[in-house]
Order: sequence, then C-alpha cells, then structure tokens
Amino acid sequence: MLRYIVTRIALSIPILLAVFTLVFIVVRIIPGDPAEAALGDYASKQAVEALRERMGLNDPLIVQYLRFLGDLLRGDLGISMISGKPISEQVAHVLPYTLQLTFASILIGTLFGIPLGVFTATRRNTFIDYLGRIISLAGLSVPAFYFGILLILFFAIKIDLFPAVGGGDLKKPVENLKHLVLPALTLGLIMTTSVTRLTRSAMLNVLSEDYVRTARAKGLRERAVIIKHALRSAMVPIISIIGLWAASLIGDSVMTEVVFSRPGLGKMLVGAIMQRDYAALQSIMVIYAAFVVLINLVTDLIYGLVDPRISH
Amino acid sequence: MKQITGTPPQPKFKLRSQRQRLWDTFKRNRTAIVGLILVILIACTSIFADDWPIAFLQGRKAQPLLAPFDPTKQDAYRRLEAPSLAHPMGLDTYGRDILSRVIYGGRVSLMVGICSVLVGGAMGTLLGLVAGYSGGRVENAIMRGIDVLMAFPSLIMGLMVLAVLGSGISKMIIAIGIMLSPTFARVVHGATLSIKETDYVEAARAIGVSRFRILRVHILPNVFGEVVVMASIWTATAIRIEANLSFIGLGVSPPTPAWGTMIRDGTQYLTNAPWVSIFPGLAILITVFAFNLLGDGLRDIVDPRLQA
Amino acid sequence: MNGKRILWLMVTMLILGSLIAGCGPAATPVVVEKEKVVEKPVVQTVVVEKEVPVEKEVVKTVVVEKEVVVTATPERKEPVILRLGQNAADLHSLDPHFATTTQDRSLVDMVFNGLVRYKPGDGSVIEPDLAEELPEPEMVDGKQVWIFRLRRGVMCHPTDTTPSYELTAEDVVYSLQKSANPERSAYAGEYTGMTVEALDDYTVKITLDKPLSPVLFFPKVANYSGGFIVCKKAIEAMGDDAFKTHPVGTGPFMVQSYSPGEKVMLVANDAYFRGRPLLDGVEFRYMPDISSREAGLLAGELDVINGLTDEVWVDKMSKEEGIRVDVFGVGEVATVHFNTTVEPLDDPKVRKAIAYALDRDEFLALFGEPVAENVYSPVPAKFLPGGLTRAEVEKLGLAYDVDREKAKQMLAEAGYPNGFSLEVVTSEMTGYRRIYESMQAQLAEVGIDLKVNVVDHSTMHKLIREDVNPIVVYIAWRPNADVYLTRFFHSDSIVVTGAKPDTNFSHYDQIDDLIEAARVETDPDKQVDLWKQAQIKILEDMVAYPLQYHQQVYARSEAVDYGHELISVLALYPGITENTRIVK
Repeated sequence: MLRYIVTRIALSIPILLAVFTLVFIVVRIIPGDPAEAALGDYASKQAVEALRERMGLNDPLIVQYLRFLGDLLRGDLGISMISGKPISEQVAHVLPYTLQLTFASILIGTLFGIPLGVFTATRRNTFIDYLGRIISLAGLSVPAFYFGILLILFFAIKIDLFPAVGGGDLKKPVENLKHLVLPALTLGLIMTTSVTRLTRSAMLNVLSEDYVRTARAKGLRERAVIIKHALRSAMVPIISIIGLWAASLIGDSVMTEVVFSRPGLGKMLVGAIMQRDYAALQSIMVIYAAFVVLINLVTDLIYGLVDPRISH
Repeated sequence: MKQITGTPPQPKFKLRSQRQRLWDTFKRNRTAIVGLILVILIACTSIFADDWPIAFLQGRKAQPLLAPFDPTKQDAYRRLEAPSLAHPMGLDTYGRDILSRVIYGGRVSLMVGICSVLVGGAMGTLLGLVAGYSGGRVENAIMRGIDVLMAFPSLIMGLMVLAVLGSGISKMIIAIGIMLSPTFARVVHGATLSIKETDYVEAARAIGVSRFRILRVHILPNVFGEVVVMASIWTATAIRIEANLSFIGLGVSPPTPAWGTMIRDGTQYLTNAPWVSIFPGLAILITVFAFNLLGDGLRDIVDPRLQA
Repeated sequence: MNGKRILWLMVTMLILGSLIAGCGPAATPVVVEKEKVVEKPVVQTVVVEKEVPVEKEVVKTVVVEKEVVVTATPERKEPVILRLGQNAADLHSLDPHFATTTQDRSLVDMVFNGLVRYKPGDGSVIEPDLAEELPEPEMVDGKQVWIFRLRRGVMCHPTDTTPSYELTAEDVVYSLQKSANPERSAYAGEYTGMTVEALDDYTVKITLDKPLSPVLFFPKVANYSGGFIVCKKAIEAMGDDAFKTHPVGTGPFMVQSYSPGEKVMLVANDAYFRGRPLLDGVEFRYMPDISSREAGLLAGELDVINGLTDEVWVDKMSKEEGIRVDVFGVGEVATVHFNTTVEPLDDPKVRKAIAYALDRDEFLALFGEPVAENVYSPVPAKFLPGGLTRAEVEKLGLAYDVDREKAKQMLAEAGYPNGFSLEVVTSEMTGYRRIYESMQAQLAEVGIDLKVNVVDHSTMHKLIREDVNPIVVYIAWRPNADVYLTRFFHSDSIVVTGAKPDTNFSHYDQIDDLIEAARVETDPDKQVDLWKQAQIKILEDMVAYPLQYHQQVYARSEAVDYGHELISVLALYPGITENTRIVK
C-alpha cells in the first residue's frame, strides 16, 4: 500500500517537470517580442533592449529554463508585463474567487446530481428516466458561456434579482454571495448533468450486484436498500471522481468567469492572452496544469485506498 | 459426423434477460437513429446553404439555396431588427440576416468539429496502436507523453496552441485535434493491449504474419467500434470547444459567420437585441446535442455493458 | 419534512434575518458645519481662442458663509465613492506622458493639473490651472517667451516614500523636461524647440525657438498629454516604472491602490487647491465588456459607465428609469488612410475609385446620429477652425459622394476590371471593427476583396505603425488642426521611415510647406486658410477619406451631478472634478 502511494507520487514529479517544460517551450514559440508587447507602441529601441536585458531574454535558453524552474520551485511566479506587479500577488488576489466558484459549483453539482442520479436509476427506463437522460444530455451539450448568458438575460436583466457582473467585495460576505449565485448556478447545473449520469450508472451497476438482491430478499424496505446499501458503495467511485470533475470543468469555469466578468484565474488567463502578457500566461498555465496533475494524483491515491484490488 | 442442430434448452431466467437486453439495444438504437437523423439534417442544411455544386459546374459564384439570404450582405439601415416573418431570427448589428448566418455558420462548426476529430482521431489511434503493440520503452515513452498532454485542461491546451499558431479555421482544427488525440490514444492503447493477448493474434504472430498486417487486419477492426463511438462524442466536444474559442475571440475572421463569434458579437446587445446571441447559441446546443445523442446510441450498441 | 422541522426552520430564519437587519453602526447625533455656497458675479479674464483677452463677467461660485447646524436626525457618514465602469481590460500606463489610451487619459485627468486647463465640460475655453493667470507672450532676443506665475499652496499628493509637499517651479521645469524627453514621454515631439527654466520658486519661463499663436501654444501646457505636471520628488523616489501604476500629481483625486485587471481606487485630495472634492473617492473599474457595464449601471452597482458609440444603445438606455445618457464632444474623427506607396493604392485613380465606392451614410447608419456625424475633411469643421464643411467640399467637387458605378468604371480604367484583394488587421474595439467590416461589405460591391483579421486593440496599433495595413482606419482626437495635419500628413511623421515616425500612414509628403507655413502664421484667418488649402490637396490626391466623428457616450445614474455642463471634454470622458457629486 505504502509502496503504491510512494510510486504514484514519484510518478507525478517527472510529469510535472514535463508539463513545466512544455509551457516554457510554448510561451517561447509565441510570435512577438514580449518586451515590445510590455512597453507598448511608444517605446524606443533602447528601452526595448534594456527591458530584454532585465527580463533575461538575451540569455541562452538553457539558462532561462533553469531560472524558470528555480523560480517556480521557490514559488516565484514572475512579474506581470502589463502591470509590473508580482504575478503571485495577482494570483493570490483572484484565487479566492476561483476557489469559491469551484467549491460552490461542486456543491451544487453533487447536491442536485446525486439525488437525481439515484432517482433516475431507480426509475430506470420509465418516462422520467428518459426525460432525465435527455435533460442531462442537453446539459452536456450547452456551452457554459451560453448558459451563463441565458441566466444573465433572465435573472439579472429581466428580473433584477442577482448581479450580472463581477465578484463582489470579499470583505462583504452577503454581497459576495450574491455575485456568486449566477456563476455558480451556471457551472453547477452543467456539472449536475455529469454527476447525474455518473451516479445513475454507478447505482445501476451496484443495484444489479448480489448483495443488493440479498438485502432485498432479506425484506428490507426499498428505501433502506437504496440509500443504506447501494448508494454507499456507489459513492465510492463518485467521491473519488469529484476532483476530476473540477479539473474537467476548468474550461467551462474559464468561460464562466469571462461571461460574468468575475475576477478569477480564468479571466486573468484570457486577459493575459489578449494583452500578450507572456509572463502571466506562463505562470497561470503552470498553475492550472499543476492543479490537474495534483487532482489526478489525489484521485489515484483515493482509489488506491478504497479499491481493494489495489491496496493489497 | 453427426451435426448438432438447434440450440440447447436455455434456462428461463437467461432467456428473459437476453430478451431484455435485445429490447434495450433496440431502444437505444432509437437514440442512435434519432441522433443520426438530426446530425444528417444539420449537416445537409449547412452544406447546401448555397448551391455550390451547381455553381461550380456552371463556373459562377454560389447563390444561397437553403439559406434565405446572403450571410454577408449588410443593410446598415435595418440593423438589429427584431425577428419577423421575413427574417425569423432577426438582423444582426450590420443588418445581416441571422438565420442565414446561422445556417452558413454550421459549416465552420461542422468542419472544425469533424476535421479536428479526424485529425486527432487519426493521430491518437496511430499512437495508441503503436504504443499498445510495441510495448516496452516505446510504449512507455508514448504513454508518458500522453499523460503530460492530458495534464492540461482542454481549453487551456487549445488557448496555448492558438496563441502560438494564431487564429483561423485550420489552426483551430490543429489545436483541437492535438487536444483530442490523447484520449483516442489512451482508449486505443488499452484496447490494443487486450486484443494483443487474444489467441488468434498469438496464433497469427506464431505463424509469422507481419506486424502491420496484424494491426490492420486483427486489431484495428476491433478497436474500430470504440473509436467510432468516441469520434461521435468528441465531435460534440470539438464543436463546443470551437464555440468557446470563437467566443473568446480566437475564431474565424469576418465576415465568415461562426456561431461562437456571433454570440460574442451579440453580447453587446443583450438588453436591446438578445436574438443576436440567442439563436446561434441554440444552434450550438442542438448540434452538440445531436452528436452526443448519436454517440450515446452508438456506445450502447457497440458496448452494451457500459451503459445500463 | 414534518411540521416541527418547518417551525424550527422558520425560527432560525427569523433569528438570522433580524441579525442581518440589525447590523450596522449605531447612529449618534452629530454637529455639522454646512458650507453655504453662494453665487457671486466676479469679473475674470477668460481667453476664448482669440489674441486679445476679453474681460467677461463670469459667474463664479464662491464659498461665503459657514453655517453651524446641529442635526436632530443623526447623519451617517459613509464615504461617497463614485463608481466608474471603463471600457478597458487594464491600464497601460498612468504616467501622464505615456497615457495615450482613452481610458488612461480620463484617469490621469483626475490626478494631475497643467499650467493651464481646459474648462471642465467646455474644451473650447482655456483657463488658468496651476498658473495664476494666462500670460501674454513677449518677444525677447528674437524668441517668444511665456512667463507663468504659479499659485501658492498647491500640494503634491503624499505617498509611502514622499510626504506631501508644495509644488514649485522646480517641479514644473522637471515635468516639462520629462515631456520633452523621448525616453520618458510619448509626446516629446511637441516640445522640441522649447526651453523651460525656473526664475524663482513660483515663476516659470518658457522660451520658444519659433513663435506660436496661443491657440497652438496653450494646449502644450494644458492639462492634456505632455502638459500634465508631475511631482518631481515623488517620481524620483519611486522611479518611472512604479509611477506607471502609482501616479502622483496635484489634482482633486489621488491614487490609493491598484488591482491589476480590476480597478484603481482614487481618494479625495483634502488639500486640493480648489477645495476639498465633494466626492470622497472614485472607483475606476476596468470592465471591457459592455453588457457587464450596462448590467452594473442598471443594477445600481456603478454610477457612471462608458457607453457604446451606438444610437440604438443610447436610445435604449435613455428609456431606463433613473438613467441619463450624455452624448458630448469632442468628436474623435475616423479617417481612412491609403498607403500611397503600395500597389494598387499608389494609383490615385484607384484611391478615388475606392472613395466613390464608400458610402458615408451607410457607415453612419451603423452608429447613428447624433452619436456620429459625417465629416468631409480630416480636421473636423464642427469642433476646430480649419476644417472644411460639406458645402465647401461640394463646391470644390471633393465630397466623393457614393457612386459605385463610377467606382467600377474607374477601377476598370486603372486596369482592375475585376477588382483586387487586400488584407488588413483591425482592432476588436467596436468603432474600428464596425468601420472595417462595413468597408469590407461595401468594397465587395465593386469587386474589391478586403480580408480582415481581428486582433486586440494594442496589437493593431502596433502593427499599423509597422506599416502592415495598406488601408488604415484611425480614430483620434487632436487638439488643433496643426497637430492633426502634422501627425497624420507631414513627411516627418511617415510611419517607419519618417524623421520622427508617427501616424502618417499614407506616406504623404506633398503638403509639408503648407503645414509649416500655417504653424508660424500669426494671423488667425490666414492660418485657417492655409490649413484649408492643405486639406483640399489631401482630398484632391485622395490620400485619406474623411469618414465621420464619434462623440463620447457616457451613461450615469440620475443621482450623479458632474458639476458642470457637458459640451466637449478633451479627456474623452465627462470630467470628474472637485465639484462632482452624487445626490442621494
């Protein structure tokens, strides 16, 4: 067991390294001179050269690469080319908003998704099940930003219930919460559809198992059978995948932040691309990728702990 | 030699579950069929938006056929007109007919969706086959590379590639293709591994059949089912990703209509003229839904064990 | 859920509800000193674009009495912050000598002063700012000399590294020298031939190699572009880089904090020499998405927003309850420049054909009147002396009214019966995008295939200065005809290859003499005439097609009172001053 944990963690390290390297290479291939982009149209040639020196862009690639890795290990994400401020500051500022959104969406997703999944699993092949499957397929098909726009149109414009814009002041919790509702609903409802589908199939797998039939045969109430026995063992694959859902929803969460103009890592990323802020682009991509690797690692570890086949 | 005919008597419960399964498969066939019909409908509408085959043969510029108007014809004096009988989806900010643009816009989405899946599918299948069959260090190298690629959330990967390549249809196809290849590779790799161990492949190898022939004749047809299912589902994803990228602003250049770009242009007028964004969005929803439906149905046919 | 649970839930809700409602600072009775503001007519010298200063009776508000009032009902002193939603993703530079984007300009306008200023709300009037009065020029040793006497008691904003200190001539000299330095200013070209010295702590002497009329001189030392005065000690202490995001001036508002990509917080400068601002602060928010800004204003989260240059939008917003829309000058002029060194645009016939293919009214319909209006010369006749009106160009046959048949004919004559194709980049910003896309459709009607690539705004600006576009649409305001003509049509300003590359996208070099003659002409009528001649030449050679001007569109909650009438503002925003307030 311990061996599995150690091996798994050890495996992540070269992957992380490869990920960082890939980001480094990609950012260096992007056309355009980062120093020129940073200084804008009016910079003289001398100013651009001076900045290139300061940014270390004239050093050999290997040196830049090692410096990049070294900085990352120390947690130094570099300086933004547009604002001139340390990127880690900016990230620290927007991270709470992104985490809020992620957490809230997962909450909504599971809160709605699991019961719905159980519900449709128990009413298998009925009209309700069919309807549920169509709705969840539709949920999978709708682009997050479009859904967000629809929610804005209805809840923020037609009925002035929730704000359409921004993230609200973190220090004012009620205001903050109001700004969270629509974006979280956008992501959360989309996530609900995936969760429903997964729960449904997990439940169906479990429901056909022997021990469930035994429980039924024992004469237990149907409800007890479902909740106490079936759901509990179905929860295992579900819970271990929650992190993966968060990772797979990153694309949608970026779009949601853009649509709602909500501060967050995703909006920062799109802004960095549009403004050619290569330093910020590099750092944010590293953060996202590292996050995914971490989630995969944690998920595998949980699986390992829980799945008897692995923990021998 | 005495021929054994007829089926041995089946125990009753097995018969019922077999019937049950057949009926389920048929019902899911319905899903696949409905999905297929929808996809074909959408594709035909977009492909025959104008009469390009006839125009090509006649050597002239194509005229709108299924689409009521030229999608690039502007009428600035009637901009942002609400939906009416003549223009069921209204007019956009340049006075262009939105219905026509939605129909033509399908071309971009379908082209990007299908081509990127073809590109990614081909790349990924090739990698997966090679990795699965070769084994050893080759397999290791390829699969680790796949792991690294999969560490990037798909949208981020797409943004990265487009930042390097620039925007446009062909670049997007490459970007999304790269995004999709890891999943294809993984599935094909797994399937190849399991098929590799079967008796007939062992036998073929023992006889001395060439590697290529084994791959082509024995392994490939067997993974084909999985690949087709994935292709359909990932086309849905590819179309969604294209919409995302276009919405951010990395899409096609004007005046080519594309659904994601149209939604983006419409966000300025959500309060005045929401139809500019609503209809292209619906188009994306329906198209992606159709492909998902098709994929779901196919999966149930190909591998009934997976979905109950 | 059974009844007991429901009851319990209700009780909890009740308790929570009362807790939330009860929160808030306890109110105490307060003694308030109310300043009674009285309007008294005061005779003041005002320069209205003429040589001879005119004594006009100007009604000026003067603080006269102080009333002491004990309020029976306690007043809550919550800071009144004006929340402004601006159309930008982030700042580029708040160093006023590099603040070239529209949005950065509006911010620095609140933070800095100039020796003179454009009257808030009326950009056609120049009044003293840091200087006590507008000086008369004198000729000394063949050179023109302007002597400015500075006000006393103008305090620089305090920072972490430098305390507040009194602005003196030393700062003014430092600042104008910075404006003249091409390494430290984007406007250095405007300050060549100018020497600045401090005669004593409160007197600044500016010597010009070549004499200029006040119309051309005062804009250089006004609260605009290079004329903003920065605080020497502050910028020397923090360095140019930090100054970019933390500018320090003497204006009614000071920069308190900056959240990249989000907002800049400005607080009132209590020591402002015109009096403490009525607002406690300004929250300058970066919101590039119009629907976000709109939604923010409608929901009451924003007080002022930058709107859309679109009459449809203006109409809609005006109908909203509690919202007012202001459409005001200056009009930023959109001109289509043709690169005359590139085939096939090097053929004047082709350029004229294109001009005849374009329909001003069709472009206009995309924006709507009065938000946009047609112009017929590069210098807008409506706002500046020296422009040509429609009647004038019609008389000369240079109106280039749309005639697509004629255009096709001319193209055929020039050797392009089937048209040709060109490729351009456009900014994603609405104004540019719409013009290029409409141009694309209009040119298609005469067989010209215009490929348009959309890039972000700053990239477009960079690329056009590298001479990438054969056709360049440029939307800008310049303070007078000389600046328009010099920067866009003087050979020195030719992109890439000019002596001082600027925005001469057409590579035109045929009117240098007219421009230079007008610049030094002291008779205003002759000056205007020379400017007109220069533009007639531009139209005859069709190196640039004047299209339209766009006015500024800002929407606000009706509670916002800017404190002045809105006729035209050079800083391209309504102008937030010490008199701006929010009436609750």
